[in-house]
Amino acid sequence: MAIQKPDTMFKNIDHKPPRKDWMDVPADIKPGRYCYAAGPEPLEYVGMPNPRKWDPLDKDWKLPENWENTIITGMKERLEKYRSFKIFMDICVRCGACADKCHYFIGSGDPKNMPVLRAELLRSIYRGELTTAGQILGRFAGGRKLTEEVLKEIWYYYYQCSECRRCSIFCPYGIDQAEITIIGRELLNLIGLNIGWIAQPVANCYRTGNHLGIQPHAFKDMLEFFCDDIEEIYGIKPEPTFNKVGADILFVTPSGDVFADPGTYTCMGYLILFHYLKEEYGLDITWSTYASEGGNFGLFTSHEMMKRLNAKMYMEAKRLGVKWILGGECGHMWRVIHQYMDTMNGPADFLEMPISPITGTRFENASSTKMVHIVEFTADLIKNGKLNLNKSRNANVRATYHDSCNPARGMGFFDEPRYVLNNVIDTFHEMPQGTTKEQTFCCGGGSGLNAGENEEIRMMGGLPRANAVKFVHDKHDVNMLSCICAIDRATLTAMVDYWVPGVQVCGVHELVGNALILPGEHERETDLRGETLPGKEEE
Amino acid sequence: MPYLNIKGREIELDEEGYLVNEDEWDEEVAQTMLKDLEGIEMDKETLEILRFMRSYYKKFNAFPILNAVCKKLHQPKECVHEKFLDPLLAWKAAGLPRPGTMYTESHDDEHKVYKLITAQ
Repeated sequence: MAIQKPDTMFKNIDHKPPRKDWMDVPADIKPGRYCYAAGPEPLEYVGMPNPRKWDPLDKDWKLPENWENTIITGMKERLEKYRSFKIFMDICVRCGACADKCHYFIGSGDPKNMPVLRAELLRSIYRGELTTAGQILGRFAGGRKLTEEVLKEIWYYYYQCSECRRCSIFCPYGIDQAEITIIGRELLNLIGLNIGWIAQPVANCYRTGNHLGIQPHAFKDMLEFFCDDIEEIYGIKPEPTFNKVGADILFVTPSGDVFADPGTYTCMGYLILFHYLKEEYGLDITWSTYASEGGNFGLFTSHEMMKRLNAKMYMEAKRLGVKWILGGECGHMWRVIHQYMDTMNGPADFLEMPISPITGTRFENASSTKMVHIVEFTADLIKNGKLNLNKSRNANVRATYHDSCNPARGMGFFDEPRYVLNNVIDTFHEMPQGTTKEQTFCCGGGSGLNAGENEEIRMMGGLPRANAVKFVHDKHDVNMLSCICAIDRATLTAMVDYWVPGVQVCGVHELVGNALILPGEHERETDLRGETLPGKEEE
Repeated sequence: MPYLNIKGREIELDEEGYLVNEDEWDEEVAQTMLKDLEGIEMDKETLEILRFMRSYYKKFNAFPILNAVCKKLHQPKECVHEKFLDPLLAWKAAGLPRPGTMYTESHDDEHKVYKLITAQ
């Protein structure tokens, strides 16, 4: 699909409110802003309701009989089960503090992308169908009935929220729109309303262990290809182990990084680091061809699906008898691990308290999950002088850092990546205040919205982040946007091509791998991307 | 359903132009897809890439890493981009099914560089 040129899109952002009341403006489902519906196959595979072929542009969405009752009953159950949902439905005073904090609203100007109104789409149903005031007073009490038109509106806008939680930090009550969207999508899934870009990875993950549907022998083949590449660059070939019983640590990372650039270079960074740790300190880290996915698109489907897909991490750790788990650079994966895993699929009492066998550091923050973030692990190694790094290999890199939403707002993970970056590169510039750390802007494609067909809304949603990148690109000649999330690596690449050409995207461990001096390496000529290393151009 | 018509032989395609039955693939099918639909001439290297993708898919049931294709065939590093522009066109011309968890994206109308994007 042809997309508007950046300057046209920028000029066309219209923040003028419509003349009618929001309840009187039905959703106009526009190509470029919605994702295709899931076909029946992935839903059948995991036993999700109402599998069928349907098209959001059709009048008939082929809803199951009694769908209104399914949604209302489902909402009632969740209001009782999730205290947060009940509070978020009740306490909003519509102050509007969140209104202009959403990247999709800033970039699209669509009022229903204001978090307050997005929540109101569902809240109005709660009021109209489940509260006495709403049942009697209707619109005067902010209530409305659940109709097919209303349902379509909820589907359209709940798949234009990336669950980034930026709005929640500006809300004086702490209302978390991500939690409302999570419940909203869960309700929609009860009657088979979803998107293919989420449902297919979910089914793949359940079948093969990862979103891309990579089978064990292919997973191994792909990693071995990277080892061949590393051998060409370093003269040394890492020999990763797979599914090794009795290894020290199990490593789990998003599958996108074993397949598509630039995540592949991050993956090479992991392999280089693990080889170094094996050679220097005898640390045995193994990869799993079963728990071959860190990401979890179940989070974007339902709590139950998230739990089912997440279960393999602990199961595999138990089967292999490792001490603890190390997790790769991913965004939403860490929301699932940090906020849900130990209560959902734990307690992992068969694992040990994570202690770095190299530095002796106890990762107290991971004492319940038994899973440590690789950036934290690497930062600790650097702090204790355990890595032999040569920054000059990254001398061409003038980087900034994009705080990925989930590790930033979900974990308070701000300093570790910056510490690692400052130890592997010379030139680092922060993007402006208000766009980083807890106030970071989404890449525009989080929560399973990094599909192709909704490119327009992704680019609109990417605008605030792009503006901040453009600022450091223009002012400091920044040429690299580093991040610690696989969806970011995919989505930001397209986003900077569109809004800020001339900037590339990388994972933090690509830069770590490139700077690391492997024992016995030959004289290096290129970086991990095959580009000539700084200082080697003349030779 | 659209069809490819090759000397009276009708080959069924899906809505996005992928072969419905991958066993109907042969060089002629690939040539027609590339030349008639995209204006791309088939040469020895192009055919090598298509054959590699088919054999990789048969063995691994997966799309190979693009750099690995070029390296294993001893072709230039960007061989798939050079020959097909869009890597998914190579997959399509190799007669393989539409991959559900990846797409390619390009923003520059004049100098198209398709980037492969996957679900993560």
